[in-house]
Amino acid sequence: MAGTSIPTEAGLLRRHLMLSRSASRLQRLGALAARGALLLVTCSSVFAVIFIFLFIFRDALPFFGLRGFAEVFTDTAWYPSAEPASFGALAIFFGSGIVTLGAVVVAVPLGVAAAVCLSDVLPFSVRQFAKPVIEMLAAIPSVAYGFFALVVLAPLLQEKGGVVLSVGACLAGAPLGLLAVVVLSDLLTSRLPDPSRPVVRLVLMGGLCAAGFYGLTQLVQLLLRLPIHSGTNALNVSVILGIMALPTVVSVSEDALHAVGRELREASYALGATRAETLVKVVIPAARSGILAAVVLGVMRAVGETMVVWMASGNAAQIPRPWFNVLEPIRTLTATIAGEMGEADHVTGSARYHVLFALALCLLLICFVCNLLGEWAVRRSKARLR
Amino acid sequence: MNGVTVELASSLAERQGPAPEPKDRLEEPVITAEEFSVFYGDNEAVKRVSLDVPPRRVTAIIGPSGCGKSTFLRAVNRMNDLIPGCRTEGLLALEGQDLNAPGVDVVTLRRVVGMVFQKPNPFPKSVFDNVAFGPRIHGVRGKPELTETVEVSLRRAGLWEEVADRLSHNAMALSGGQQQRLCIARALAVDPEILLMDEPASALDPRSTARIEDLIGELRADYTIVIVTHNMQQAARVSDLTAFLYEGRLVEFGPTDQLFTKPRQKQTEDYITGRFG
Amino acid sequence: MRLSTRKLLDRSFSGLGVFAILLMVGALLVLLAPIAARGSRAFVFRATVEHRQFMLEESGRGDHDAIDAEIRAAAEVRRKAYDMIARFEEELEAAGRSERRELRRSLREVKDHLAGLLGPAPGNARPVLLRDQYGQTRWDRALVGLGDFLYVTEYDYSDPSGMGRPLLVPRVDGFRGTSLEPLFAYVEQNLERMLRPRLTFYWRFLFDEGRDAHFFGGIWPAVLGTLYLTIGTMLIAAPVGIASAVYLAEFAGEGWLISLIRTCIGTLAGVPSIVFGLFGLAFFINTLGVSDSKSVLAGCLTLAVLVLPTVIRASEEAILAVPKTYKEASLSLGAGQGSTVLRVILPAALPGILTSVIISMGRAAGETAPIIFTAAVSLGRPLSLRQTLSQPTPALPWNIYNLCTEHEAVDQIRHVQYGMVLTLVLLVLLLNLAAILLRARLARRLAG
Repeated sequence: MAGTSIPTEAGLLRRHLMLSRSASRLQRLGALAARGALLLVTCSSVFAVIFIFLFIFRDALPFFGLRGFAEVFTDTAWYPSAEPASFGALAIFFGSGIVTLGAVVVAVPLGVAAAVCLSDVLPFSVRQFAKPVIEMLAAIPSVAYGFFALVVLAPLLQEKGGVVLSVGACLAGAPLGLLAVVVLSDLLTSRLPDPSRPVVRLVLMGGLCAAGFYGLTQLVQLLLRLPIHSGTNALNVSVILGIMALPTVVSVSEDALHAVGRELREASYALGATRAETLVKVVIPAARSGILAAVVLGVMRAVGETMVVWMASGNAAQIPRPWFNVLEPIRTLTATIAGEMGEADHVTGSARYHVLFALALCLLLICFVCNLLGEWAVRRSKARLR
Repeated sequence: MNGVTVELASSLAERQGPAPEPKDRLEEPVITAEEFSVFYGDNEAVKRVSLDVPPRRVTAIIGPSGCGKSTFLRAVNRMNDLIPGCRTEGLLALEGQDLNAPGVDVVTLRRVVGMVFQKPNPFPKSVFDNVAFGPRIHGVRGKPELTETVEVSLRRAGLWEEVADRLSHNAMALSGGQQQRLCIARALAVDPEILLMDEPASALDPRSTARIEDLIGELRADYTIVIVTHNMQQAARVSDLTAFLYEGRLVEFGPTDQLFTKPRQKQTEDYITGRFG
Repeated sequence: MRLSTRKLLDRSFSGLGVFAILLMVGALLVLLAPIAARGSRAFVFRATVEHRQFMLEESGRGDHDAIDAEIRAAAEVRRKAYDMIARFEEELEAAGRSERRELRRSLREVKDHLAGLLGPAPGNARPVLLRDQYGQTRWDRALVGLGDFLYVTEYDYSDPSGMGRPLLVPRVDGFRGTSLEPLFAYVEQNLERMLRPRLTFYWRFLFDEGRDAHFFGGIWPAVLGTLYLTIGTMLIAAPVGIASAVYLAEFAGEGWLISLIRTCIGTLAGVPSIVFGLFGLAFFINTLGVSDSKSVLAGCLTLAVLVLPTVIRASEEAILAVPKTYKEASLSLGAGQGSTVLRVILPAALPGILTSVIISMGRAAGETAPIIFTAAVSLGRPLSLRQTLSQPTPALPWNIYNLCTEHEAVDQIRHVQYGMVLTLVLLVLLLNLAAILLRARLARRLAG
């Protein structure tokens, strides 16, 4: 008791600091047991990863035993239920690849720009408003995105696809074109002697503007004539996947940009660089490992996504002609697994069942490699900035 | 004597309580350090320090930032165990028991050696729960006992009058000075015999600082107090003995009035007259 | 480059960033607007007398006398239409043979469409399917039905290369000069009196079971299934995740084992959700045999593995955010490491941990792919708690997929699909909102 314990003159320390040997051992054992139990629980993640690889591998191996490796990766004929069955999944790999590429094309420039904007451009109050928006975009379930793609976007693309694309092209093309005209005319005239420069530049700008306008009208006409057979196609899925990957790309790259210190920015500003120049030439290169990690994580999100592609990609196992025609339906690994597992016979373990595990194994390996790459990039960016 | 030392002398004079009798060397020391060193990795933060802290006195440790005074203090209740890569050499003993010997129970050690930190660090709990935290940890369960301990501890810390009617309020709502006295009460509640104070008033305003210093003067009768401070006036006001550490070495250790008025080392004089640090 | 050009580039660069953020806001609005607007119509819509009759007869809800009176009043108006048909049928007996066959087929269509709108004609046998026993319960569907009743869709194949263009031909054209001709105008003008639409707040949409493949009723089994899956998942994932986070934050040092664990957590976070589904099927069901086939339990286990990395990472962050001074204070009072964690660190980290748990709940609620093979079925009754151990359940995400791709009449139950999507999105967003608010409160408390 605090109040009553005035230390006595002799033997100030009434308590012995040493534990008796048995008490000490008991205590140590108890602490060790508790720690061990906690460690075991913590290792459940390790077990989960090991079991996932083990079980996917176990059910994938029989397929390679039955059919070998060549067919799946080189053939495009996917008829798993035909007699005789054929399991050429090249088109399916292609489908996963093209929608991922599409998603990256949508998500990376916009995501990095948004991250730059959040970290360097916008005032604090706007950032506070933008963060929840990004979190909400990330939180919306993929099936809701898929539903939107199938029920709202697909009919729109099918019926008014040309118009939608032209409006998009004009909105993106006009400002970009104007910017290019100004910069180009500036660069081209910079060698000329001073007095004639403004005149030449004006003429050049006029000419380039006219050329650009002509190009844009041609493009719009081309787009309006495009045949769109189905609204559920690679473009639809790519756009939606891109939007789904945006929050990941934004938050990871924002962290990376944030980690680049004030000093570097100030050094660049002090040399008279504009904000854009500082960002493009100093900050983004310094953060490039982190941005690479953002891209990799975005790719993983797009490759692994199931519901959107299953609902809105059209599920046609084909390589469109030409291959970059994103207005054709395609089919991805995830959608194949999701769609055919229900029909494959689980119990008897047919080749049809095992091929889906083989596809899952490929998917798992792709994501595993991406993950390692991402972690490596993050570690590198941390090491570099330290 | 220059201006600074005059000021220090006046600080010495305004100290409360009777000035301690001339230090009698025969008194059994509570804390003994012999050639005691602390390493962070390869960096030796405390270098072969030897000193004896007598019971029921206030011992101040002064020195410029980074001189190892906090590290030394934290070695006394082995808080340095928390820092990875930290190890010690030499002897640091409480009444002859080596603190760093295998088998020493840190939990018991830390009950005996209480600590008050630089920044008031109450838990985000009620005032009552803060003070009762220690007793509860050590197995006191009965409500009446806890209530008594809490009241006694708060009274000793001079906080009872101010918080008696809001024991159930969140401690975070107290002022900084009150929070620090709450932390002292919390440390007293586990019935320690030694109190370590790591710059207890550096984050407080002057009035709160004065109250803490008064409190230290009152507690001196019952506890052995070691206080780390970089404020020399404070050391002069509250302490009986002062140790001056510089770059990890003990430069001088002696009665406070002697150290401040007639320092034996040139370095000490330079420091207390403000020539460096 | 000229300074003005550089400044222009600078401004357009900022513009691109602002555009990207506006695009995200826009995407969120474009996504949520139709879901909110059309989803709310599952709850609030103009219900016809058929809806009230259905509710009265199938669930015993509503004021018996009032609805009877309404049905009688509607029947009064309808009778004239049926009389016209009866008169026309008499007339038909007198007509020539070939003409009669043609007209009879057209009449058959007219009667079918009318039955679709108003339910079976009086005096006919009670149809087998529930959906045929009642007319349109929703006024918006009734208007669509009216269009089908009034117009025949024919296809124009004049362009040989393309698909046929649909053309709407008034059905009345086939009956010009007969006694049936006025029927069409009569139905068009009096449909409102025949169906008596009234704005209704059908909040029971959430708590009713779906009837006859979701043509009637609500979505309770799916809502309940999602709740079971979400809560069950967190009951498994939260203890394991929080314990792991405590170990990693408080006890683990550095070493190969710890870095292996961290790498595995990262790997687990990157496994595609469909692979979790296959894993759940192969491991929990086929190998461990937690249930004979799909069950809520197997789904919960699978989802728990999926959300585990999220729970661990966010909880660890919350624990690391607890000021070190708390830990020091507790240790200096002689508390052991264990009691410091239990009594000081966990309580202080609790809001942050709760935030992570809530966000993971949202994730578990919305995931579809992992439950396809482990827990979800398209139709089913609400389960009791005991049944969750062995029985599969409908769940919102899976049923959304199912209803909008595999249902026999996708277009006729749009309101149910939208209602489900709205429910799911609201559930997830509310969970996230709770997490955001909790975090804001936490930030305020740590600041004050």
